[in-house]
Amino acid sequence: MRRTRLAVSLALLVLLSGCASFAPPQPWEKQYLATPAMQFDADKLDVRNTQHIYYSKEGAAGGYGIGGGGCGCN
Amino acid sequence: MASDHAIVVDGVPDALADAALAAAIADVRRIEAKYSRYRDDSVTAAVNRGAGGAPVAIDAETAALLAYADQCHRLSGGRFDVTSGVLRRAWDFRRSPPRLPDGATLTGLCALVGWQEVEWNERSVRLPRSGMEIDFGGIGKEYAADRAAAILAERGVRHALVNLGGDVRALGGQADGTPWRVGVRHPRAMEAGTAIASVEIADGAVATSGDYERYIEVDGCRYCHLLDPRTGWPVRAWQSISVVAPLAVVAGSVATIAMLLADDAPDFLASQGLPWLGVDAAGEVRGTLGK
Amino acid sequence: MASAAAAVAATDRTAPRVRALLAAALALPGIVPAPAAAQTMPDAGFIQFKYLDYRDWQPGARRMRVENPGFYVMSPFAEAWVVEGALVYDGMSGASPMWHDTLSGASGEGIHDRRAAGDVKLTRYFDGFSVGAGVAYSHENDYISRGGSVDLRVWTADKNTTYTFSYAGAADRIDTPDGAANHERKYVNDFLVGVTQALSQTAIVQSNLTYTRGHGYFDDPYKTFDSRPDNRRVLAWLTRLNRHFPDHHGTLQLAYRYIDDSWDANSHMVEAAWVQPLPHAFSVRPNLRYYTQRAAYFYFDPPFPTGLVFGQPYTADTRLSAFGAFTLGLLLAKDFGGGWSGDLKVEYYRQKSDWRAGGNGSPDILPFSARWIQVGVGKTF
Repeated sequence: MRRTRLAVSLALLVLLSGCASFAPPQPWEKQYLATPAMQFDADKLDVRNTQHIYYSKEGAAGGYGIGGGGCGCN
Repeated sequence: MASDHAIVVDGVPDALADAALAAAIADVRRIEAKYSRYRDDSVTAAVNRGAGGAPVAIDAETAALLAYADQCHRLSGGRFDVTSGVLRRAWDFRRSPPRLPDGATLTGLCALVGWQEVEWNERSVRLPRSGMEIDFGGIGKEYAADRAAAILAERGVRHALVNLGGDVRALGGQADGTPWRVGVRHPRAMEAGTAIASVEIADGAVATSGDYERYIEVDGCRYCHLLDPRTGWPVRAWQSISVVAPLAVVAGSVATIAMLLADDAPDFLASQGLPWLGVDAAGEVRGTLGK
Repeated sequence: MASAAAAVAATDRTAPRVRALLAAALALPGIVPAPAAAQTMPDAGFIQFKYLDYRDWQPGARRMRVENPGFYVMSPFAEAWVVEGALVYDGMSGASPMWHDTLSGASGEGIHDRRAAGDVKLTRYFDGFSVGAGVAYSHENDYISRGGSVDLRVWTADKNTTYTFSYAGAADRIDTPDGAANHERKYVNDFLVGVTQALSQTAIVQSNLTYTRGHGYFDDPYKTFDSRPDNRRVLAWLTRLNRHFPDHHGTLQLAYRYIDDSWDANSHMVEAAWVQPLPHAFSVRPNLRYYTQRAAYFYFDPPFPTGLVFGQPYTADTRLSAFGAFTLGLLLAKDFGGGWSGDLKVEYYRQKSDWRAGGNGSPDILPFSARWIQVGVGKTF
C-alpha cells in the first residue's frame, strides 16, 4: 500500500510539474511542441534498443509501447 | 508603389536556411502571380472576366480566401469589401496633377460594389454584374506572409521574420533568445527609420494600414486609397493603425477594418482584444501597445 | 518599447469575434506549420541506421558482448498511409546472464548467438483518428517469436489530446540445442491504453497503462535449477513529461514508471534528461535513470540451494533479485542539413543490491555493470 501511494505521488509529481500553467496551445502556437526534443519516441530505434537492454537485465519492463516482437532474453 | 519584401532566418545552418528560404520565396511569388490583378492568367483576372456571366470554377485555396473575405465583410459591417477595387477607376493615385473624382462617375462605380451580392461557394464564384471586380489585394500579401512563415517552420527554421511590404510575421524570436523588434513607421515621416514605436514580438504578426501607402493631396487634404465602399470616398479619421495578432492575415484585416471604421475604430479594436497602436488625423498616438 | 509577445500568446483573452476571424484564417491552407505530431501524417519519409555496441561485466569477469546493427524506415504513401519497418540484428557473445551461484562456472563458458528481428507496420490516417496494424518476427537459434499488433489513435479537434489503444500478441517457441527446452511455447498478450496531452505551448505529458499477460514457458533453460510459474501478469504505468524552456533553449524530459508484477518483482523507475541545443546545429542530452525492484517471490538468496523445493518455482537469477540500478548517459546529436542527422550515445549502467530504495536488497550479489555505445545516422526523404 505504501508503495502504491508512493507510485501515485511520483506520477502526480511528474504530471503536475508540467501543469504550472494549463493552457493547451492554439494551432499556430505549436512550434515548440513540433521539435524532436518535445516529442515522445522521436527516435524509435533508440527507444527500442534501450528498452531491449533493460528488459534483458531487469526483472520487469514495459510501458513504452508494444508490438516490437519478443526475444529470448527472458 | 513598390513594397519591400524581406525574410530573415536565424539560428540554422546555411544549407538548411537556403533551402527553406527558396521554398518560402517560391510560394510568395506563386501567390502574387495567382492573385495579381495585373496578369491575364491570374485567378483574379479569370473571375473578373466572368462578371455578369457564368460562374467561374475555383480551387480550395481561393474558396478559403473568399470565405475569409466574407468574415471580414461581416466584421466590418460591410466596409471591408473585396469588390471595392472598381473605385480605383475614379481615384487615380498616380495622376499628376492629382484630381478629385466627379460625383457621377463615383456613383456609377459604387453601384458595381457589393460583396453581399456575389454568389460564391467552395467550387465557384460569380460576380453578378458586368463590370464588377474582385481584388485580393487586401488579403493576399498577409496570407503569403503567414504561409512563408509556416513553410520555414516546416523545414526546421525556428527563428524567422517575414516582412512583406510592412506586414510582418515573426517566428520564435531571434536565435539568441531575444524577441524580434519591429518598428512601426511614423505615418508622416518620409525618412526611413523614423518610428513611432517599436514592437517586441517573438511569435505572431504586426500589420499596419495607413493613409500614406497610396494617396493624393488636393488643397492640403489627403485622400488615401482606403475607400468607404458605401460612399466611394476615403476614410479620414486615422493616419495609420497597427495591430498585433497571432497571424498576419488577421493583423492586416483588423488594421484595415479599423481604418475603415474611422471614429468607431477604438471601440472595434477593444472588442477584438488585440493590441493596437494608431495615429489619428490630428497626429495623436493612441492605442493599447506600450500601455 | 512595446511588448506584444505576451499579448499574442495569451489566447484566452481573444474575444469571440476575433475567434470567428481566426477560425476563418486557420481554414486558409498551409497557414500554420503542420506540427510533426503523431496525429498529423508525416509529409516526409525517414531512414535511419544505428549501431549499438554493448558490453557488460561483473567484478573479476567479463560477461557478455552484443553488437547490434539496426535499420528503421518510415514512409508516407498514397496520401493517407504510412509504412514503417525495422530490421535489427544482435550478435551476442560471452557468458549467459548472471546467477548468484555460478560466477565461477560462467567464466569460460561462452555462448555465441545471433538474433535477427524484423517488423513492419501500416497506419492509415483518417480525420480525427488513425488505425495501425503490424507484424513482428524474431529468430535466434533457440528462440522464435512471432507477433502482431493493432493500434487505434484518436485525437481531439484541436489535436491537443490524443488517446491511444493498442493490442499486441506474440507466440514464442523455445527449443534449446541440448534439449533442455523442447518445443516449449510462450504466449504473451499486451494491452495499452494511453493519453497524451499538450499542457501548454511548452509542455506535453503522456501517461500509458500497459497490461501484459503471459502464459507458457518462462524458465531459463540454461540452468538446471530454474523453474518459474507458467504465467505472469504485469501492469506497467509510465508517465512522461517534456517541458521546454525557451529562455534557455533547452528541454527537460522526465519519466516515472511503476510496475506491479504477479511475480512480486514490483519496480519503480525515474528518469530525467535535458536536451540542450548547441551552436552549429549540435545538441547534447545528458540523462540519469534510477531503477529499483523487489525480488520475485520465487527468488532465493545464496547459498544455493536455499529455498529450492521440488515442484515449487525457484530461481537464482539475479535479474529477479531485489536491487537498485543507475544509468548515466550522454547523447550528442547533429543536424547536418539537407535532411541528414547523426547521433552518438554513451550510457553507463550499474546494478547493486545495496542501491535498492529503502534497503533490503538481495544479499551477497556482486554488482553488475554495463556500458553501451550507440552511433546513428538518419536521413529524411
